[in-house]
Amino acid sequence: MPILAIDTATMVSSVAVADEKKLLGELTVQTRLTHSETLLPHIQQVLKMAGVGKNQLKAVAVSLGPGSFTGLRIGLGAAKAIAYGLNIPIIGVPTTEALAWHYPVPGIVTIPFIDAQKGNVYSGIYAWQESKIVELSPVQVYTLDEALELCGQQDTTVMAVGDMVQKKLANRQDLPANFQIPPQHMVMPRAANVAMAGLSRLAQAKVDSVMNLEPIYIRRSEAEVLWEKRQAALKEATGTSDEAEK
Amino acid sequence: MDEKITLAIESSCDETSAAILRGGRQVLSNIISTQIPIHQKFGGVVPEIASRKHIVNIMPVIDEALAKAGVELADIDQIAVTYGPGLVGALLVGVSAAKALAFTLDVPLIGVNHLEGHIFANFISHQDLKPPFMALVVSGGHTSLVHVKDYNSFSLMGQTRDDAAGEAFDKVARVMGLPYPGGPQIDKLAQEGNPNAIDFPKALQEKGNYEFSFSGLKSAVLNYLNSMKCKKIEIDKADVAASFQNTVIEVLIAKALSAVKEVGCNTLVLAGGVAANSSLESRLRAATEKAGIRFCYPDKILCTDNAAMIGCRGYYQSLASNFADLYLNAVPGLELQDL
Repeated sequence: MPILAIDTATMVSSVAVADEKKLLGELTVQTRLTHSETLLPHIQQVLKMAGVGKNQLKAVAVSLGPGSFTGLRIGLGAAKAIAYGLNIPIIGVPTTEALAWHYPVPGIVTIPFIDAQKGNVYSGIYAWQESKIVELSPVQVYTLDEALELCGQQDTTVMAVGDMVQKKLANRQDLPANFQIPPQHMVMPRAANVAMAGLSRLAQAKVDSVMNLEPIYIRRSEAEVLWEKRQAALKEATGTSDEAEK
Repeated sequence: MDEKITLAIESSCDETSAAILRGGRQVLSNIISTQIPIHQKFGGVVPEIASRKHIVNIMPVIDEALAKAGVELADIDQIAVTYGPGLVGALLVGVSAAKALAFTLDVPLIGVNHLEGHIFANFISHQDLKPPFMALVVSGGHTSLVHVKDYNSFSLMGQTRDDAAGEAFDKVARVMGLPYPGGPQIDKLAQEGNPNAIDFPKALQEKGNYEFSFSGLKSAVLNYLNSMKCKKIEIDKADVAASFQNTVIEVLIAKALSAVKEVGCNTLVLAGGVAANSSLESRLRAATEKAGIRFCYPDKILCTDNAAMIGCRGYYQSLASNFADLYLNAVPGLELQDL
C-alpha cells in the first residue's frame, strides 16, 4: 500500500507517492509560486497521475526541517490534516536526512547545506550504511565557512546538498578538494527521498502523532533569543549590585 | 430546516480555534486555545512564536471541537477557514490544514474574512437578528463602519485612516506601563477616573465623514504624559485612561449613530475584540436606547477571536455558493470591502 510524501522545506515544492516496490509518482517544482497556493493542488494531481485514491494511502511522510519556518509549517499542517482525515499514521523525516537519500553510496558522506539565514547553514554528516542512511554528526547551525571546514576534515568524498549549494557554493573556487557539487536535480530536496526514508521508518513502526509533531527548527525565534539576552544582562546587573551591597 | 454541519478553523493571531456549527447559528462546540500568557512577557504577539504554537495546537483543537460536538469526520459537510486579515505565518497554519482536510474529506472549502466573522458573531448571540443593520467593527487592527444590507451584501461606510482604536488602546497602555494586552487594562483603570479630566482632540468631525483617525489622539496622550513628566507634575493615571477612553468612545458613538441615521436602518451591532470593552458597550447601549435604535453585541467569548463566528460567516457564504478552491492562500492585509 502506498504512502504520500511531502517536502516544502525550501524553495522546492515536492510531493510523491510510493510503495515498497516502486516510486509511483512525483511532482517536484521550483518556481516563484508559493507552497501555500500549490501544495494541495499538487497532492491532488500526483495522486491522480499515480492512479492512487487517497483512501488507499497507508501513511503520510513529511519533511520536518530544518528549513524555511513557514514552508515547514505549510507542509506539516497539510500532512497532519490528511493523516487525521484518513486516520493513518504521520511520519516525520528530517529534511537533512531526506537529502542524504540522494546518495545511497557506501564509503562517502553527504553533508547538507540548508539556509539558516544571515550566512549560516544547517549541516550534519550522513552516510549510507547497511541499506539505510545514518547520521554521523547531528544537525546544527554553522557559518558557511565552518561547514566547509567540516567538509575538508572528512577523509572521504563529500557530496554537498541543499539550497545553499544552489545559492552560494556553485561558483565558489576555494572549495575543499574532497568536495563534490552534484548536478542540480540531486542537490535540492525531493519528496521521493522523503517517501523512501518514510517507508524505512514505517517498516520499523517508527511513526509520529498528529497531536504533537513539530517541525525541526533548530533555531529559536529572534524574539526569544533577544528576551533571554536582556534577562541575562538584567540578572548580571542586579547580581553585581548585590555583591556591591555585601 | 438546514442541518448542514460546518467545521470552522481560525488561526489569524494568537488564538488557535475550531468550532462545529449546525446550520448557521447553532454552535455545537467552539474550542479556543489562547496564547496570551505566552506572549505577555514580550509585550505583544510575536508572530514566529504564535505560528509555532498554532502548528502544535491545530489538530488537538480540531479533535476536541469534533468530540465536544459529538460529530464524526464523516458528518462534516463543509469547512470554513479564516484566510485574512492577520499574521501571515499564523493564517497559513489554519489555511493549510483546512485545505488538506477539505481535500481529504471531499467537502467544499470556504475562505472567510476574519472581520466579517466578527460581525457575524452577532447572529449567534442574537438568534432573531436579521439584516439590514449597521455594524461598528472595533478590533486591534481595524475600526470600520459597515452597512450590512443582506447576508451577502455589504457596503463599507468608512474605516480608519491610520491607527485602529484597539491599536491606540494598546500603545497608550504600553506607555503608561500597563501589562499586555493593554485594552482591558485601560478599561479597568478608567472605571476609577474622571472621563472629563483632560480634553483630548477628536479627528474628522465633519458631518457625513465616516472615516476614523486615532493617531492624533494617541500622540496627544503621549505628549500629555511627557509634558507632565518634564514639569514633574504627578499624573492621575486613572484620569488619563478615563479621558482617553471617553474620547475614543464619543467618536465611535457619534459616527455610528449618524451612519445608522443616514442609511435609515434601525439596528446597530458592535463587533470585534474591543466590543469586550465594558464602557464602550454600556455607553453605546445608553446612546442607542435614547435614539430608539436596537443595539446588539456578541457574548464576551464571541468578541475574542474564535472559530464559531468564522463558521457562521462561512455558512452564509455557502448559501451564496461563495466557495474557495484548493489554491486558497492567506491574505494578511485583507480588508472589509463592498460585496
